[in-house]
Amino acid sequence: MQTQHLHIVFIWYWISVIFMPAYAFNFEADFKLITTQKVFTAGTPVTLEFTTKNNTQPQLYVSNSFGATLLTPTAIKNRIQYSIPQHIASKTGVIYWSLRTAKTPLNGQLTIVSAPAVDLIQTYLGPPSISAGANDYTMLVAIPTDAYDNPLTDGTKVAVKRQFLNTQRIDTVTIQHSISYKNIFSTLKTGRILISSSCYAFNSKEYDVNVMPAPPYDFKIRYHRHHHFADGNQITTFTTSTIKDAYGNTTSDGTYVEFFIKTKANYILKTSGTTLDGVATAKMIHPNHEDTWSVKAFVDGMAESDALVLNYKAVISDFDLTRSTDNRKITVGPLFSFMHQMIPDGLEVTLDVYRNAILIETLRKGTSEGYVNFKLNPNQFPKGNYTFKVHAASITKTLNAVALW
Amino acid sequence: MVKINKNILRSILVLSYINVIVIVFVGISKVLCFLNTGADRSKMLHTEIKKIDQYLPQLEWAPLKNEGRPMDMQTLKAIETDYLDAWYVKHVAYKTNTLNGIKDYYTKHARTAIFDVVTQNKADRISIDATTLAHNINLDFFSEDGQLAVLTDSNVAEYQRVFKRDTLVYDVKSLATYKAILLLEDGFWRIRHLRKTAHENVPDTIAPALTAVKNIKGINYYPQATPWDMYGTAFNPNRIAKDFEIIKKAGLNTIRIFVPYEDFGKANVTPEKLEKLTTVLDLAQAKALKVIVTLFDFFGDYEVLNYTLNRHHAATLVNALKTHEALLAWDIKNEPNLDFESRGTSKVLAWLNTIIDLVKSIDTVHPVTIGWSNAKSAHYLKNKIDFVSFHYYENLEALQDTYAMLQKKMPHKTLVITEFGLSSNKGFWHPFGSTAQDQANYHKLCQHIFAKHHIQFMSWTLYDFTKVPKEVVGRLPWRKQTQEHFGFIDQNGETKPAFKYISKE
Repeated sequence: MQTQHLHIVFIWYWISVIFMPAYAFNFEADFKLITTQKVFTAGTPVTLEFTTKNNTQPQLYVSNSFGATLLTPTAIKNRIQYSIPQHIASKTGVIYWSLRTAKTPLNGQLTIVSAPAVDLIQTYLGPPSISAGANDYTMLVAIPTDAYDNPLTDGTKVAVKRQFLNTQRIDTVTIQHSISYKNIFSTLKTGRILISSSCYAFNSKEYDVNVMPAPPYDFKIRYHRHHHFADGNQITTFTTSTIKDAYGNTTSDGTYVEFFIKTKANYILKTSGTTLDGVATAKMIHPNHEDTWSVKAFVDGMAESDALVLNYKAVISDFDLTRSTDNRKITVGPLFSFMHQMIPDGLEVTLDVYRNAILIETLRKGTSEGYVNFKLNPNQFPKGNYTFKVHAASITKTLNAVALW
Repeated sequence: MVKINKNILRSILVLSYINVIVIVFVGISKVLCFLNTGADRSKMLHTEIKKIDQYLPQLEWAPLKNEGRPMDMQTLKAIETDYLDAWYVKHVAYKTNTLNGIKDYYTKHARTAIFDVVTQNKADRISIDATTLAHNINLDFFSEDGQLAVLTDSNVAEYQRVFKRDTLVYDVKSLATYKAILLLEDGFWRIRHLRKTAHENVPDTIAPALTAVKNIKGINYYPQATPWDMYGTAFNPNRIAKDFEIIKKAGLNTIRIFVPYEDFGKANVTPEKLEKLTTVLDLAQAKALKVIVTLFDFFGDYEVLNYTLNRHHAATLVNALKTHEALLAWDIKNEPNLDFESRGTSKVLAWLNTIIDLVKSIDTVHPVTIGWSNAKSAHYLKNKIDFVSFHYYENLEALQDTYAMLQKKMPHKTLVITEFGLSSNKGFWHPFGSTAQDQANYHKLCQHIFAKHHIQFMSWTLYDFTKVPKEVVGRLPWRKQTQEHFGFIDQNGETKPAFKYISKE
């Protein structure tokens, strides 16, 4: 029994010894990776080297962030070498490779990391202007890249420098998600903030952000006029005080200010102006009759002024009407102003023509050297009885039952 | 006499003159008319821009928790569209080694990386047919001025087929993670930086379905009036219900129906068509019939770049029907092996693979098969499918051996013959064809074999058809005539002798 067992063991031993090399040869891979380095700095040459037992030269598939390709090896004795092309080896990220052997393919990964040196800082700054008051902010996004246009690794420190008036400040931010950013809040005063960034002793160029005035605060208005008479000719000028924001910054030039004038009869007149050095000016012609104006100015939706009250005195208390013999010419005037001078040309006089108590026509004319002449055309106004009403400077005079012929 | 002659001459002259004038006039007006065509004012501004779906990978946005400016839906959609388009143009670039569209979706610096790869691949005659099937995007950062966004796109399911000198060297499925920085330039969200941060090869998944097919006694079904056009305007639920009644009464328990790809709206399934398909399943359910739904009928594209469109189509159908009681199994495609020669075996198999993966990812319950046109092809993808189905139109004498051999090759797989039949096509075009009685004998023998070996079967088909579309067998009348006479019920609605053997010997 014992010897039989020994025999079996002996036979097994010899079988193993004889077949072992063949067995091993068959199952050991034909190719074996020699290169041990797994992490490379972008731009350094990357070569994968394999030992080979046969003379085949399989293709090596490599893929990186942007694309993939196949590589053909160069053979040196029992080794084959694949040099990864520069454009693949210079991009950070994972390179996956697969050796396309006939039998079991070999796979692996390499990692390309960026060199800790900056070639360029791509900077994106926006919005380009912000409003004063430390509430609004702009954002500086800085992407430091290496010589092969790869963003630097996360965790790298970036200094964000800024200057405003007499102050300078440096903040340090770290790269996260391949970018670094810093919110830059506005100052209380208007002006220009200069910003730059630096990383690994590489400095970006200068960028700037304008701090614009915040929305204006309420303001005052005043007026200027040559006299207080309602002559319908002179002009009253309205002026705002210097319009400022809550922080004392003069509002930007060109801010639109609208003046609302409310008359005694509750009509609204509007005039407007834009600011220059914070002051807006607007003009309005005098009324042609006695009136009281209440004026208020607005920067739409943001600020308003106090109310201002202006009185205009009547200049005309009465006027004459003269008629021609056939009544077809009605002369209004002379119209005198406050010093009994002839009223300046252009005061509007209207003539309402009634027939059988029905208004059939309104004629309008401006004064010329103190007079207005209305001519009644026989084609328009045939013979008959008419009533005329003449209005000038809020005074109405009526001529009843005038026969035209 | 002379005078009359002169008048005749005169009138002929005048008439011919008028004739010439008319011809010239008409000619000029035709020319003017031609020159005016196309000058439609309404088309001048190109206001009508139709978006063509060319790339529809599954895409999911992680809940928005980005740093920087809060994101709005409109911008997010714009980023999504441009980001996917960037992938699409890149695939096109590597497939064709051209650079069309790259400039629109990659910034000046980023595109050089693609140019370099294209230049090298072109020189080495390498082309890469690739697509991405799924993206899971997280928005990391959106700048305050709305001009810069950073995304992490994780588990990007990529599929690549790498060719060198038109020979397939490598096909690889992988999951990768990318980090992308996009800039808004000229109204495009362009990729500024792209970095692959992780890569992992994905082995072929094998996911057995939770249910199996057994005791299928079935038939392939088309309505008699509208074969190969079941869901058109002539869709008639009453007729289909009556047909199902006939099928049920004949002792059958399953039908096999077809979903034409183009007719169903290609990538975006037309809701009305889907509704009709659901109605068919409802009607089958009412008669306690099970349904094998065959997807991708009248489809032969298989392009890697269009996988996303095909998957979108399949996903809609599978999602809509996966809970339907009547559903028995999914047949991915009818007779795809017929395209092996024209499209390439590996290309067709790769396509089938991706569609199987998709169907199984959505529906884990119902088994999946491929309707191979012959027993010879039945072993393809046998590990991916839940049961093997093939069509048998060869000589019946070899059936038992063929079946036994297949079963031996795939001992753990259920085999189903999903098409078999004989055309009673004896007539003008086929003077020596089979008669209706031959057909009856054929089915009798079939049923005998099926019963003996417990073979699950589905016959072709219920009806003789009066019109067969040219897309099915071509235009040749003798082929059409054969295809018209496979039914158990003839063109006049009378049962043929074979009907007796529709479900049993």
